[in-house]
Amino acid sequence: MNYPVWDLTTFGGGFLIAFVAVIHVLVSHFAVGGGLFLVLLEIKAYRDNNDGLLNYVKKHSKFFLLLTMVFGGLTGVGIWWTIALLNPAATSSLIHTFVFGWAAEWVFFLTEIIALFIYFYTFGKMERKQHLIIGWLYFFSAWMSLFLINGIIGYMLTPGAWIENHNFWSGFFNPTFWPSLVFRTGLSLTLCGVFGFVTAAFLKEEKLRQNIMRTCALWVAAPFTLMVAGGWWYFIAIPEPAKTIILEKSPEIANYLQLLTWAMPILFIASMVMIIRLPNSFQRVFCFVIVGIALIYFGAFEFIREGGRRPFIIYDHMYSNQVYVDDVADIQKSGFLAASKWTQHKTVTDDNLLEAGRDLFKFQCSACHSVGGLLNDIEPLITKYDNPFGMDAKLNGLGKLNHYMPNFMGTRDERWALASYIVFELNGIDKQTLANLPVEAKELPVEIPPFDKEKDEYVLLAWNNLGMHCISDSDPFWILLPPANDIYAQLVKRGDSPEIITEGVEISYQVEDGFEYPEKHVRFWEFADKLLGANLAPGVGVSGLKVSGTMGLDEDHRAFTAPFIPVVPYPEDGSFNPYPIFTITAKDKETGEVLMTTKTVAPTSTEMGCKNCHGGGWRIAGVAGFTDKTSLDVLEAHDKNSGTNLVERATNGEPMLCQSCHADPILGTKGNPELLSFPAAIHGWHANFLTDREGMETCVACHPSRPDGPTQCFRSHHSEFMDCTNCHGTMEDHSLSLLKKEHEAGKKGAARLMENLKARAVDSVADINPRTPWHNEPDCLTCHEEFEMGSSMDAFNTWTEGADDLFRNRHDQMEAMMCAACHSSQHAVYPATLNKFGANRDSIQPMQYQGNDRPIGNDCTVCHTVQPDFEGHHPNSLRL
Amino acid sequence: MNPAALIPTPDAIPVPWGWFYVLLMLTFLLHILVMNAMLGGGIIALISLFRKDQQSTLLSKEIGYKWPYTIAFAVNLGVAPLLFVQVLYGHFIYSSTVLMAVWWFSIFGLLILAYYSAYIYDFKFDNLGNLRVFLVGFSVLILLYIGFLFSNNMTLMLQPEKWQAYFDNTEGTLILLSDSSLLPRYLHFVVGAVAVAGLFLALIGHFNFIKSSVDRETLISKGMKYFTYASAIQILIGFWFLMALPKKIMMVFMGASTYGTALLFIGIILGFLVLYVGYKKMVMVSSALTLVALIDMIFMRDLVRIAYLEPYFNLSELVVEPQYSSLNFFLITFVLGLALVAYMLKLALGCRKEVTK
Repeated sequence: MNYPVWDLTTFGGGFLIAFVAVIHVLVSHFAVGGGLFLVLLEIKAYRDNNDGLLNYVKKHSKFFLLLTMVFGGLTGVGIWWTIALLNPAATSSLIHTFVFGWAAEWVFFLTEIIALFIYFYTFGKMERKQHLIIGWLYFFSAWMSLFLINGIIGYMLTPGAWIENHNFWSGFFNPTFWPSLVFRTGLSLTLCGVFGFVTAAFLKEEKLRQNIMRTCALWVAAPFTLMVAGGWWYFIAIPEPAKTIILEKSPEIANYLQLLTWAMPILFIASMVMIIRLPNSFQRVFCFVIVGIALIYFGAFEFIREGGRRPFIIYDHMYSNQVYVDDVADIQKSGFLAASKWTQHKTVTDDNLLEAGRDLFKFQCSACHSVGGLLNDIEPLITKYDNPFGMDAKLNGLGKLNHYMPNFMGTRDERWALASYIVFELNGIDKQTLANLPVEAKELPVEIPPFDKEKDEYVLLAWNNLGMHCISDSDPFWILLPPANDIYAQLVKRGDSPEIITEGVEISYQVEDGFEYPEKHVRFWEFADKLLGANLAPGVGVSGLKVSGTMGLDEDHRAFTAPFIPVVPYPEDGSFNPYPIFTITAKDKETGEVLMTTKTVAPTSTEMGCKNCHGGGWRIAGVAGFTDKTSLDVLEAHDKNSGTNLVERATNGEPMLCQSCHADPILGTKGNPELLSFPAAIHGWHANFLTDREGMETCVACHPSRPDGPTQCFRSHHSEFMDCTNCHGTMEDHSLSLLKKEHEAGKKGAARLMENLKARAVDSVADINPRTPWHNEPDCLTCHEEFEMGSSMDAFNTWTEGADDLFRNRHDQMEAMMCAACHSSQHAVYPATLNKFGANRDSIQPMQYQGNDRPIGNDCTVCHTVQPDFEGHHPNSLRL
Repeated sequence: MNPAALIPTPDAIPVPWGWFYVLLMLTFLLHILVMNAMLGGGIIALISLFRKDQQSTLLSKEIGYKWPYTIAFAVNLGVAPLLFVQVLYGHFIYSSTVLMAVWWFSIFGLLILAYYSAYIYDFKFDNLGNLRVFLVGFSVLILLYIGFLFSNNMTLMLQPEKWQAYFDNTEGTLILLSDSSLLPRYLHFVVGAVAVAGLFLALIGHFNFIKSSVDRETLISKGMKYFTYASAIQILIGFWFLMALPKKIMMVFMGASTYGTALLFIGIILGFLVLYVGYKKMVMVSSALTLVALIDMIFMRDLVRIAYLEPYFNLSELVVEPQYSSLNFFLITFVLGLALVAYMLKLALGCRKEVTK
């Protein structure tokens, strides 16, 4: 942000520096060890009076001069050249911090050159002892270069105490200085043997050649132990979290780690092959193969070392994208563009959205990501994002749960601009294509069942028990809820003193035409045994019920229930309808006489927005349902982040129920006691990607309640002046309330998810009341004190004591009628006229019994044949 | 847009800027000397190859022997001033470098090729025949190209008002061609290099460091001829360069600054003196005067830089976060290094005597 950025696209992502550095380090390390190789072999030649060997040393010194001084020296300068172009801020920082270290290195570079020139040009002309002294001085100078650069390179990964004191020596003699020095010294000596093979292979005299081959093999073998020991020490010295990033977290390092573990023994074995007397033609080829293996081996090491530093270029001091760690807080407030000197745009406007996004990509992302290039190509990483919302969420969560990328730096507007640029420009999504189409409301005909106030003796009330209900039809991969909704019913015998009838009657339910065969629309039954461990016949739900059948009596609630009816939102015509209507009929058990018939909806939506971030699009009618792509991506993300093998399992035909590991009270699963509960895990994880949103923007990204969506499940009159957050809190608060409970229970995963979440409705996390999901929920009476009109619209953070106190389980004060019997289910309490599929679809019973859409009992005479004069059900029930 | 808004915030320096200034001037002088011998030597070798007489061929051969050394030391001695200029002016030079990144990146790769070409020329001279011209020409072209890029970058870094071109070209392919001072600045280096390289050849002859069988007197006389003619042209280019500078900067040397005016005056006097002693083939006097002239020109060059940057930056603005121990470490290393160099050269020269015996 301080410096201009070279727009490299294809060759970006560090490709240039990797290219220059990998070839340089191989040669430059050879330049160090090679000095010792030459001197020791020269001594041996003198001692053994071996002219052949001496000639070899001279010949090798020419090769050495041409390779190390020309190629090694200039590629070394090339590294400096390259880093100054790719990361001028870091280069400047390194230059200014270590200027005298570099300057001292330059002195040794000078003495190295002079020594090597003299060594080579006076070979055989100088007195032997003096010539050896020159050789030793060369080795000393070269090793000192290594010594000095080693300090500075080590500092970049492990600056140690320098971060606090900014002292030259603290940075130089950093925590990995000595182990790295041992490793690199061992490596440089090993490389002498590797390059020795090359010059030896071209010797004509066979005996000499084979002897030198063996000497070179020894030069590989002996320092190999030093190198391996140094490497191990080096690895141990790397502090957390860099070590974890190297071992577990970084998506780029894993391959190099594998390459390293293979290349190291192969290098050793290949070198030992040279001990064997082999045809010269083979040796001449194989010596280059060994150099190639060494290049791969050392290249992999360098990639790991560089990768382990992510997301920093200088650990804890400067990010790879040239932003100082200390500047981030200011940037988050004032904006990245405004703080950057070289961005074209300083603020985000409607007109410059994409150009500002381009600026942000260039200055914040392009340091590590190429566009269509070989290294860290951004394109495959973003293909799943077909809308800025998902991309924006991804950016929102960067660096929070995994630390190999930094946080996004900038304002909300800037993040949106970057997300838009990535989606529309890099990903090439047509700007006109909306990820989620606005769905117009329609009026499906509903026939209101008859009720004759004068003649009918019974009132049958029915409702569903799960208000905002989703199912995940991602069955071949995973599910979080099987096809299921619960229908409840209470039968009231009208009278002066009405009576709840629970005996001598049979209550049946029947789904509307077109929804009779859920098994034809979802693949749940193919996988039910794997998902739930239950062998279910097609069309049979978890509790053994089908979409039509008889309800059972729940004595505690004095209600009839049909739990887990396997209803799906897919009618036969291929459309999407999340509000299938069930006809409920009460009959006299003995006579079979129909006592009363009514209807109710049982919401069941597959408008679960995983695809907004996980890609894949909708499966059904462009509005709902899981595609395989979405389902798979969810598992891939889980595997990547939690080290699971869910993709493999699913591919082998063994999909899982999320709650089989993550306990969930609603399904009654115990899960793995060490893991977070399902609601805490899923909300807590995703909250990190969805912070600071207004209203129910976050909620509707996943739940089927988008105001212009196909379900709009929050359809009561409350939705006209409230949104989800009034009761449930914002995503952060909602998640924190769940996570806090888990944290208190000692679940170790909670702290990680909570670390980056800030409380919003209250001052701090400490003020958030922990809760158990599905048991401690918002309470209607928080706003409706004493059953009066709402006194506030803030029900967050006051939870029901337990499951019995939930609206959906509660009764009136006589323990007679359930709340929902008269008010309908949560999220659709009467008046609930905002159903997208028809104004009366959620008000069938009020319309049937009262001729209006108010709660049942709006007219007491629905049940009471004589107008009561006391408030039996609850205070204010008569609105006196 | 205000060009100053583009200038990055400089990093703090560990000792007062004067230290770096001295080191910059000193190492730049050393670099220029060797660079001149390298570039000018290559040009002279190329010209000599086109002359078919034996002495000219031997002269090119003699240069060939010395060429790899000059490249090695030009690079090494270039590292130091580039390091120190980055310490003092990093926020300017990194910025301008990124603007011309593609060109700049090409430098070291091409230099490797030029270097290898020079080695082939050195090691295989006798067997090369007509290929000599191609090898020398190839290397010289690359060196000229690199020199042009250096002139370009050193000019661009001084003019933040030209940096806004970045907003139309972020791919690093900017190149400064329109600046009126660029060409004379560049030629000033190139022609100066031929002059110094001529002197370098004369010195090789004078101290009899000849490795080929080129005639010593011929070497001296040809070297001094190149030196004198190039110096004469150099004076003209110097005036052109001066006139091509923006008026405000030109006036630094023409009255606005006593120091600047004195430097120019000394430079002109030295220029004409050099022509005289060069014509007289006085090798050592020419060398001494040339060294002084080079120092004079380096200070003038620095004044140009200061004058260009005057609206934006002054060295005294750099924040110092003192770390003298690292300076001491370097100074000790530097002295130790010089001692090592002296010792090794002593051994090498002693050996040379034995061989020639």
